[in-house]
Amino acid sequence: MTSRYFGERVLRLEDTRLLTGRALFVDDVQLPGMLHVAFLRSDEAHARITSIDVTAARTRPGVIAVYTAADLGDYWRPGPLLVPPPPIQGLVFNTATQVPLAKDKVRHAGEPLAMVVAESRYVAEDALEDIQVDLEPLPAVTELEAALAEGAPLVHEQFGSNLAAQVRQTKGDYAAARATAHTIITRRFHYDRGASAAIENRAVAAQWDARAEELTIWDTTQAPIPIRNGLAPMLGLRESQVRVIAPFIGGGFGPKIMMYYPEEVLVPWAAMRLQRPVKWTEDRRENFYATTQERGQLHDAELAVAKDGTILGVRDRFLHDTGAYDPYGLTVPINSQCTLLGPYVVPNYESEFTAVFTTKPIVTPVRGAGRQHGVFVMERLLDFAARELGIDRVEIRRRNLIPRDAFPYDHEILFQDFRPLVYDSGDYQAALDKAVEVSGYARFVREEQPRLRREGKHIGLGVVSYIEGTGIGPYEGARVTIEPSGTVRLATGVGTQGQGHFTTFAQIVADVLGVTPDAVQVTTGDTREFSWGSGTFASRGAVVAGSACHAAALKVRDRILTVAAPLLGVPGDELEISGGQVRVRGATDRAIGLGELARKANPLRGAVTPGTEPGLEATAYFGPDRGNTANGVHAIFVEVDPETAAVTILRYVVVHDCGTVINPLVVEAQVQGGVAHGIGNSFYEQLSFDENGQLLNASFMDYLLPTALDVPTVEMAHLETPSPLNPLGTKGVGEAGAIPTAAAFAQAIEDALPDSGLEITEMPLSPCRLYELLVAARERRTDA
Amino acid sequence: MNGQHTIRVTVNGIRYERSAEPRLLLSDFLRQELGLTGTHVGCEHGVCGACTVLLDGSAVRSCLLFAVQADGHAVTTVEGLSSGDQLHPLQQAFHEAHALQCGFCTPGILLSLIPWLEEHPNPDETEIRAALSGNLCRCTGYANIVTAVQRFAAGAGSR
Amino acid sequence: MIVEGNYLLPGSPDAIWDLLMDPAVLAKAMPGTRTLERVEPDRYEGVMRVGIGPITAAEFALGIVLSDIQRPQRYAMQIDSKGRFGFTRGLARVELVPEANGTVMRYSADLQIGGKIAALGQRLLESVSKLLLRQGLEALNQELQTRLGGAPS
Repeated sequence: MTSRYFGERVLRLEDTRLLTGRALFVDDVQLPGMLHVAFLRSDEAHARITSIDVTAARTRPGVIAVYTAADLGDYWRPGPLLVPPPPIQGLVFNTATQVPLAKDKVRHAGEPLAMVVAESRYVAEDALEDIQVDLEPLPAVTELEAALAEGAPLVHEQFGSNLAAQVRQTKGDYAAARATAHTIITRRFHYDRGASAAIENRAVAAQWDARAEELTIWDTTQAPIPIRNGLAPMLGLRESQVRVIAPFIGGGFGPKIMMYYPEEVLVPWAAMRLQRPVKWTEDRRENFYATTQERGQLHDAELAVAKDGTILGVRDRFLHDTGAYDPYGLTVPINSQCTLLGPYVVPNYESEFTAVFTTKPIVTPVRGAGRQHGVFVMERLLDFAARELGIDRVEIRRRNLIPRDAFPYDHEILFQDFRPLVYDSGDYQAALDKAVEVSGYARFVREEQPRLRREGKHIGLGVVSYIEGTGIGPYEGARVTIEPSGTVRLATGVGTQGQGHFTTFAQIVADVLGVTPDAVQVTTGDTREFSWGSGTFASRGAVVAGSACHAAALKVRDRILTVAAPLLGVPGDELEISGGQVRVRGATDRAIGLGELARKANPLRGAVTPGTEPGLEATAYFGPDRGNTANGVHAIFVEVDPETAAVTILRYVVVHDCGTVINPLVVEAQVQGGVAHGIGNSFYEQLSFDENGQLLNASFMDYLLPTALDVPTVEMAHLETPSPLNPLGTKGVGEAGAIPTAAAFAQAIEDALPDSGLEITEMPLSPCRLYELLVAARERRTDA
Repeated sequence: MNGQHTIRVTVNGIRYERSAEPRLLLSDFLRQELGLTGTHVGCEHGVCGACTVLLDGSAVRSCLLFAVQADGHAVTTVEGLSSGDQLHPLQQAFHEAHALQCGFCTPGILLSLIPWLEEHPNPDETEIRAALSGNLCRCTGYANIVTAVQRFAAGAGSR
Repeated sequence: MIVEGNYLLPGSPDAIWDLLMDPAVLAKAMPGTRTLERVEPDRYEGVMRVGIGPITAAEFALGIVLSDIQRPQRYAMQIDSKGRFGFTRGLARVELVPEANGTVMRYSADLQIGGKIAALGQRLLESVSKLLLRQGLEALNQELQTRLGGAPS
């Protein structure tokens, strides 16, 4: 395959539609007779439902229907467990999944109690006020340790406790390692909740065509195929009767892969029942409760090191907040558990976590999906060890990196894809060296920082290292078709939420078939076009779907040669494909255009050789043996005002390795966007719940997303250690920018104020929180 | 339900006469009544800027205005920036700088920038970032948007 | 949210007590009260309209149940209010202490606030509740002055 477009900065093919406002997002769907939905949501975080009276709401003019749990009959049932727990010995898992409308009990603020369908959203919201709800408040469950204490109020009475899961994974013998350690670093770390906050809120629209007996659903989902496959039987339909379209999506980031949200389950049901199209669009306040979120964990971690800083072992016990239900299994905490090992040799490891039910919104992966916690814990432990042992913080990392000749590297525990955690390839040494070089670490530490300090400037540098498991299975598929017009049509099952699939997949296919990327028409996220696959998540789209596109294009390429050879009177190996044609090598006049060849391959009359397939089309699938491992190093320069605790980011450097790069423009933009998200999670964004489970900042007024003034332009350096696990050699990069940011921030801030006694073991910080921590550190020092 | 008011508004150069409830937001009027769905709604409380349109040439948040307030005025939405496939130079600059990913916030950013760039044809990076600070983007991390604006400003002389 | 403090009122605890139990007087102490009725000896129900920041003139159903009644020294009020914008509930304790020039009312309440008010009005909750409290106490003071016929202080 000649690489003309693969690896190039091809400008995006989808831009025109998006720039001109022509791109269809779910809330843009407007159909004749369409009805609109509003949900009545619980104000209480934990309560028994004594009564719900919707009679007044039903009589309001413009209201077509009002439903409560009782009205759903047999349709009411808890959603499926989406991700069963991995087969880890001794694992405990209590399944409790979300319901379409609360019955008997509400378990988090914002849980839906009733659904109003009306002529307009305005009228539907008016009708919400007509509904009389009687809730008997119960004590909320918000703190993780308190939730597991004796006598704590129970979120799910049937389990007798708030324990959602317990998982232990070990390797080697930590106790023995600990006994021989020179130094033991023990700390508690707290990471708190944040929202994904895509600018587009969720939406679902559905239309039932009673004559064709077909249901069309537009959904802001990252997983249209599983949504179709799950909803069809629930609604009493065959899968082939249901078409789910994920059109342009305004940002996914994880929560849009949570499936069978109450609204997804109810809107199509209502459309079929009412025989009219129905649409629900989430508003921003709802998004803070009704769309899943992530990140609350409490770690008690310990690092055992030798005198030279070599890691002997790590022990980590943590509590993971799973929210009111646990439909997504243990993906997030297992990621934390696995990613903690990082790019380091950790001969002995003991990790145990307890997932805890709380009366808060459901937790499912958000960009990083639990990896940030593991990275934060390990990088901080190394920082504290370096300080105690008097070793340079980059040097201590260098001494522990997995060597470049040690791949595939087996960490002996299980990853989120249920496969052993084996790193496929990487050069962690080179990444660290590159970061040190680009950031100017050595000179900064030796000369610049001391000089700046003398000038009264408090500038710190944080350098952290991480790995990221990406490109996991199970599989994806693609179908490539050459149309009579010469256009190449590519269809794949994953959806697109801004990552540029319309361009990157076109680049892959264009190279194989000798056309330009703009000759490749890509369809993603439409189950009518392609109906096998699992979705866009876990930084796997380019790896898995991209590899499937490649495989399908190769098959079509073979078809082209097979069909063209007899027509051009030469064996296939004398043919070449380029410029949209297949031609005899060295004889440019003996050529057939691909479109024309497609027509010839699909005769209207006559006979074909038995066993021939018509046209130039092929479908292929790709399922990797296991996920691969991307890696990187972040370096951040911050200036801190010791009086006000104001923090300014001066420079942000990312060295990353995502294997072979399909489109550097896209990769760099993913890293930049990820860093912005990471900066938000580290310093501005925190979902503040009070002790009654009330969310205190459910709006952008108080939940602060970073703006253009808060995010610097990231300086980037690429390394490429191709993955042997897929034919493209590529690895995922969608989450990379967001993963180690908090750890980098923490190290840099401490480095800016070395005499403050400050130790940052919690995230997110905010200027207020940092100020409090500084004051407390100062008081501790004066007391000592 | 409150009484209907007549709204006469010019949008992207076309005159419309419609009736609407006083409480109907301008963003909903544009999207649902006129079918101009390029203006997106991200927060409905005026923070994210995705709904930005021009009202008589000035950038406003259409989620914070009622449709009736546009009566007698002229509105420009993202659909009015290009003609056919001929992009506005700022849109073209966004494309060339890869300044959009999911594209949901993009129309609001374009409309916020256009009047501002008329007043500030030669902005430096700090000024650009300050001008952008009223628009939230969750995908791009803003860097390429800044580059796009710089490209646009640099190319302005040749237009 | 904890709300507590002291306020000097005119008259003796005995004189004030019955007036505090009178819904017409009690209503004065809570700005925004539209209606308040004593439906049982120890139970009041009413409707309030209050605005907090971005949420203007929200209407709330209000319920108050008295308990721990020790005339004329102290009583407790279980407050329960609910509306489209959320809810507030909690227990308030009131103590009346005689002084030379009147009665000091000592009050303390632990209020739980939920729903939209909690989610959108956080920054303003403390200042608005202080404002309402001050307005309420001043209005109560005025009302008691008028009814007891004492000189305005």
